Amino acid sequence: MEEKVLEILEEYCEEALSYEGENMMEEGVIDSFTVINIVSELEDVFDIEIDAKYVVAENFKNKEAIMDLVRRLLEEA
Amino acid sequence: METEFQRVVVIGYGKAAGEILKYIADRQADYGYRLEFIEHEQHALSVTKKICEERGISFSVLPDKRELGGYLNEIQEKTLLVSASNNYLFPASLVERAEITIINFHNALLPDYPGRNAPSWVIYQGEKRTGITWHYVTAGVDEGNIIIQKTCGIGPDTKAYELTEQLMDLAFEGFTECFDAVLSEKAEARPQAFSPERRMYRSTEMPGEGFLDLQEEPEKIYRLLRSVDYGKTGVFPPLQTEVKGARAEVLRYRKVSPEKKKEEAGTLYLPLADGNLLKIKYRLL
Repeated sequence: MEEKVLEILEEYCEEALSYEGENMMEEGVIDSFTVINIVSELEDVFDIEIDAKYVVAENFKNKEAIMDLVRRLLEEA
Repeated sequence: METEFQRVVVIGYGKAAGEILKYIADRQADYGYRLEFIEHEQHALSVTKKICEERGISFSVLPDKRELGGYLNEIQEKTLLVSASNNYLFPASLVERAEITIINFHNALLPDYPGRNAPSWVIYQGEKRTGITWHYVTAGVDEGNIIIQKTCGIGPDTKAYELTEQLMDLAFEGFTECFDAVLSEKAEARPQAFSPERRMYRSTEMPGEGFLDLQEEPEKIYRLLRSVDYGKTGVFPPLQTEVKGARAEVLRYRKVSPEKKKEEAGTLYLPLADGNLLKIKYRLL
C-alpha cells in the first residue's frame, strides 16, 4: 500500500515525498487542486471511496497522514 | 505611485483569492492603502488565513450575508473591493456608493456564461475555448464593464476542477495587469454587448439536470461527467443514473485503454471515439 501511495504522490506532487513537516497545505507544498487529483487516484487505485469529510488539511499534512488515511479506509472497506 | 483609494478589501476563497491577496500585500508599499481580507465562504483546504497571519493582513470571517452586508455598509473611506472567487452578491445600495469601487473576477468570457459554475457549463456545452473576465460590479449580476479578459483552451479530457485551476491562474495574471490602472482609476473598461439569448446560470442548476442518461452518446456522457467533476468539494451532488432499470449514483469515472477493462460489479464501460473506454463506477440506490 505504502509503495502505491508514494507512486501517486510522485506523479502529482513529487515535493511531498521529501517533505518532513506537519502541514503541506499551509506551507504551499500541495494545493487544493493537487489534493483533488490525489484523492481521485487513490480511489481508483485502491477501489475505495474517500468521503468529503476526510478531505481536510489534517489528512494531507504529509505523506504519512495520507498513508494513514488510506490504511483506515482499507480497513473499513 | 498614487491612488485615492485608502482601503483595499479582498473577499473570496481559493487559489485566486490567495495569490491576489499576496500580490496586493506586496504592492502596499507602493500605494499606502490599508488591506484586509474577508472570508465569506469557508473551505476545508483554505490557506488564506495563513497568508494573512504571515503578512499581518487583517482577517475576518463573515459567513452570514446580513453581517457581511452590514460590515461593508459601514465603510466610509474610499475603498476598492476585490471580489475573487466570491459568490456573495453585493447589494445595489453598496455598489452605487461613490466611495466604493468593486471589481469582480468571473470565470468565463462575459457576456457569455454569466452566473454560477461557468467552468461546468462551458465543458458541458462542448466549448473549445473559455477564459476569465475582470469587470466592474454593478447592480446586475456579471453585467458591469469589462476591464480585462484572458482566454484559454478546453482540452478533450479537461475536468471542471482542472479548468477552474487554469482560470484562477489566468485571473491572477489578469489582475496583475490591470491593478495599477484600476487603482489610478484609468482602466479602460468597455461595456458588455448582451445578446437576446443571454441566460444566467443559477447555483441550483446542474448540467444534464444531474442525470446521466446511459443511452446518450459516450462523448456527451463524458462531457457531463467532466463538467460536474470538482473532486470532493461538493459543488454538485453525485450524478444520478439508471442501470438496467435500477436507480444508481455515479461514484467516479475514468478514461481507460481497452486492455485495462476488468469485469467487476458496479462498473460499466462505454466505448469512446478515440478508441479508449469510459469506465463508470456506480452504486445502486
